[in-house]
Amino acid sequence: MSGQVRVLVVDDSALMRKLIPQILEHDEAIAVVGTAMDGNFALKKIEELRPQVITLDLEMPGLNGIDTLKAIMRKHRLPVIVVSSHTTAGASITLKALALGAFDFVAKPQEVSGHMPDIAQELISKIKAAAHSKGIAIQPVIETGARVSKTAMPGGPASRVVAIGISTGGPNALQHVLSKLPSDFPGTILIVQHMPEGFTEMFARRMDECCAIRVKEAVSGDLLLAGRALICPGNRHLKVKRLPLGEVAVLSDEARVNGHRPSVDVLFRSVAEEFGTRGIAVLMTGMGEDGAAGLGVVQKAGGMTIAQSEDSCIVFGMPKAAIERGFATRIIHLDALANTLQAQCGAREEKAARAGRD
Amino acid sequence: MSNSSDDRAAELRQLFFESAQELLQTLNEDALRLEKTPGDSEIVRGIRRTVHTLKGDSAACGYRELSELAHEFEDVLALESGLATHSEVAEVALAAADVFEAMLESYRKGRKVKAADALRERIQKLAQQPETTKARGKKKKKSSSSLHFAWTEYEQLAIRNALTQGRTVYQISALIDPQCAMPVAGRQLVQNALQSAGEILAIRPEPGSAHNNVKVIEAAVASTLPAQQIESKCHIPSIVGKVTVDALQPVRKPKPAATDASIPANAAEVGEAPEVEIADLPDLAAPLPAVSTPSTDNILRVDAERIDSVLNLVGELIIGKSMLHQTMADFSRRFPKDALRNKFSDAMAFQSRVLNDLQRAVMKIRMVPVEQLFRRFPRVVRDVARQCGKEVELVLSGQDTDLDKSILDSLAEPLTHMVRNAISHGLETSAERSKSGKPARGTLTLDAYHHGNQVIVEVSDDGCGVDVEKVRAKAIASGLISAAEAAELSEAEILEFIFRPGFSTAEQVTEISGRGVGMDVVQSVLHRMKGSVTVESRRGEGTRFRLKLPLTLAIIKALMFTIENRLYAIPLNTVAEIARATEADVHQVDNHEVLQLRNQVLPLVRLGHAPTGPDSSHRKFFLLVTAAGDKKIGLIVDGLAGEEELVIKALDDQMVATDMVSGASILGDGRVVLILNLAAIIERVGRMRPEEAGAIVSGLLFSHGEYLSRKAAANGSTAVEV
Repeated sequence: MSGQVRVLVVDDSALMRKLIPQILEHDEAIAVVGTAMDGNFALKKIEELRPQVITLDLEMPGLNGIDTLKAIMRKHRLPVIVVSSHTTAGASITLKALALGAFDFVAKPQEVSGHMPDIAQELISKIKAAAHSKGIAIQPVIETGARVSKTAMPGGPASRVVAIGISTGGPNALQHVLSKLPSDFPGTILIVQHMPEGFTEMFARRMDECCAIRVKEAVSGDLLLAGRALICPGNRHLKVKRLPLGEVAVLSDEARVNGHRPSVDVLFRSVAEEFGTRGIAVLMTGMGEDGAAGLGVVQKAGGMTIAQSEDSCIVFGMPKAAIERGFATRIIHLDALANTLQAQCGAREEKAARAGRD
Repeated sequence: MSNSSDDRAAELRQLFFESAQELLQTLNEDALRLEKTPGDSEIVRGIRRTVHTLKGDSAACGYRELSELAHEFEDVLALESGLATHSEVAEVALAAADVFEAMLESYRKGRKVKAADALRERIQKLAQQPETTKARGKKKKKSSSSLHFAWTEYEQLAIRNALTQGRTVYQISALIDPQCAMPVAGRQLVQNALQSAGEILAIRPEPGSAHNNVKVIEAAVASTLPAQQIESKCHIPSIVGKVTVDALQPVRKPKPAATDASIPANAAEVGEAPEVEIADLPDLAAPLPAVSTPSTDNILRVDAERIDSVLNLVGELIIGKSMLHQTMADFSRRFPKDALRNKFSDAMAFQSRVLNDLQRAVMKIRMVPVEQLFRRFPRVVRDVARQCGKEVELVLSGQDTDLDKSILDSLAEPLTHMVRNAISHGLETSAERSKSGKPARGTLTLDAYHHGNQVIVEVSDDGCGVDVEKVRAKAIASGLISAAEAAELSEAEILEFIFRPGFSTAEQVTEISGRGVGMDVVQSVLHRMKGSVTVESRRGEGTRFRLKLPLTLAIIKALMFTIENRLYAIPLNTVAEIARATEADVHQVDNHEVLQLRNQVLPLVRLGHAPTGPDSSHRKFFLLVTAAGDKKIGLIVDGLAGEEELVIKALDDQMVATDMVSGASILGDGRVVLILNLAAIIERVGRMRPEEAGAIVSGLLFSHGEYLSRKAAANGSTAVEV
């Protein structure tokens, strides 16, 4: 019994309080020790049942999800997986929860009869990852509220193309890196963050608000410009293309790769193919091994490959897979990542700019 | 999928329907509250949360139509600013509750779900009311011409490049004729025409895309031709309808495009249509004021049948306990000095105490507050009042009175009927009320309270009351009584006629009530539950229906008595008085036996045979004065056998072919006691001549014996002594 991950399910829907434990039952390594219908009950039950991981609905009467999360973070520092809905408001509040230190989120189960295995897989693996995450290295995210002014945008072609692949723990880690980059960052950034449809747009907006560089959800035909980061929308793949007048992002609806859409591997391969030595691929915190193979392709094409260091990862899964295969040229701590990117993109700016104009 | 997961899915669906029902109830309640206090954003938030949960739950079960509709509604409710004050919200929420309910019903029955376009429209209308929400709609409003063409950044770059090179760029939109038989070919023709005019910088739909249902083609073309010529090139008869061609002017001083610092900024302006920033959304995480939540978290849903089976077993245990006591008594008699005796009786005393607690605990499980039933009425009253064009204030009290769940369930229909009746027939319109000096708003009161071992539910209104003369006339007209008889009856007795089948005094049959079925159904339901219904009415002041219900159907406190050496029981709470009398006191009036008790003449019911023989007039008997409804009657019995808590065992129709017995119970010594249905007996026997009455009881007794022998056979146990 001691080997099982003890989970507390917090949801105001009776159905979900039944369904989620039922989903988790599929895995012997997980034991749902209790359920709670609102935040107050949840806090009481945490004291009582000592769970290791909590799944949390954000929309609840009484003590709502965000306040519950704050209390859990303050008192217990337990990993919380947010079970979120697909609305615009749902995305916004979910991202807020992630900023407050929630470990990760899953979308509320839909049509369980058809997709049960998928949903179960995602939730189970996230709970396990959460249980095994050593403490939570939450980067305190400062909510300035004030929008970073974006004057004097350098809009020229990018020196280098930075592709970032990231999953669990991503939103906070990305904010940590992107908010440190100056508005005149010479490279262009493409990001694949495993996140469902509907969340990425909100995520991009939040990032844009707190970063000096411009962040937006990618649309086909968006130009890869210096000082700009494009985030791949959920449920699409992101690729790049060099066209006569400039370099653009291209979205596609191809099948899932490694069980993911967007897939990091798709982006990395495309960057390797189109940009070769100009490419920089960064594989950051996340479960599984999406992007590991792609990192190898970038390396082979002469690009720079970086893996986030174990001690700075929430989940050391994807970087580990790449490091083990020898695909990571450098292993870098989250805190040092912004500087490294700055140095890498700046160092060859002249040369790259020339190459771009040729 | 395996079988067990199918079972699970079914179980989940079941849970979904149950919780959805509760959510709808909450939705109804909140909407009604909102109607009373419009603009309460707290309530709107509550409604949104309920809809949100409904959305999530239905999505989980794959009920897409419901979930999508709930989603739309939730989204609109999220636009709280300005919406909270919107008086339509409550209205739409109620309509939504109805539509959701209908959808649930369809899902439950596996029928196709009807489209809910009307509701959808109302929901969207809500969204359109406040100005700020316009921009949030999925279809962005294309206000200026520069926003009309949603070119990608790369295409914009191409256009800009062309402009800076001094070329003229035209933005062209060509409407495809809806009658065009081959839109795909038409699309190609337009594209060819554009190509011949110049360089296509951008075109929608993109070439090669598989859209078959293209209505308009948009393109940016760099060309040296004048606009008019391009327009005429694009005009392909019977394929292209309207064509517009706008020339784009180079806005800025030409610069090398690749280093044009203004592009991204402009691109952002053009590409990102204005959208309301998320910051404008209400802070959903704002702490809500403390709401006292009932501790429903530990509530377990159990099939009522399972509780019944537990109760059944408890009943068996109680019988077993009596048997033990009987054996113990025998044992004591045989071995009065045995040391084991005391130990044995201590153990039994302990056991019976626990058993009593157990019984009480199980009974408690079945009890639910009347509120569960009452809570549906605010909505019913509102709707019916609207339909009738009346103003009605509903007053609820005694909601926390507990009642057996099965009784509560069977009470729902009759009570709803009575409430509808009260509004449509009882209460007057505001105008009529004002004329007779009453407040314009009618009051309908639902009240529940304990009264001894019974629960009373009252439905009263301050309306016009029942017109007794009309009832009298109707009773005569429909041949229920003669005019002479009618003249003798009191008002209260006349009122009783409204419980007769097919009796309605409503002048017109309305959709809401007055179809002539109703009060008789109410009465029969109550009789089935061993309850009763009475009515009081005062002309011009109102009507009060009083429903008397047993606390529970499963165990009754009963008075047991014997008639011709057979054991019977009636619920103790129906016995008003026990008296002794002799046959000499019995008189015949109108072929009915009566007896004068103090100053009252009491009609009698004799279940056994009237004694015959010389000494018969000196024979003494017990008289049970019972009150069924408001009618008192005397029941002639031979002897009393004490009172006891009886566990009622239902009898199936094969065992007892009469409705005069409502159940049976087994005593500790193995004897069987029949529980009489007093209301039915009074009705039946009261209408009979005394000499017939005995025959009826013999029939009863025969069934009684039959029942026992069958029971013994079924149990395979030793035959029970009767």
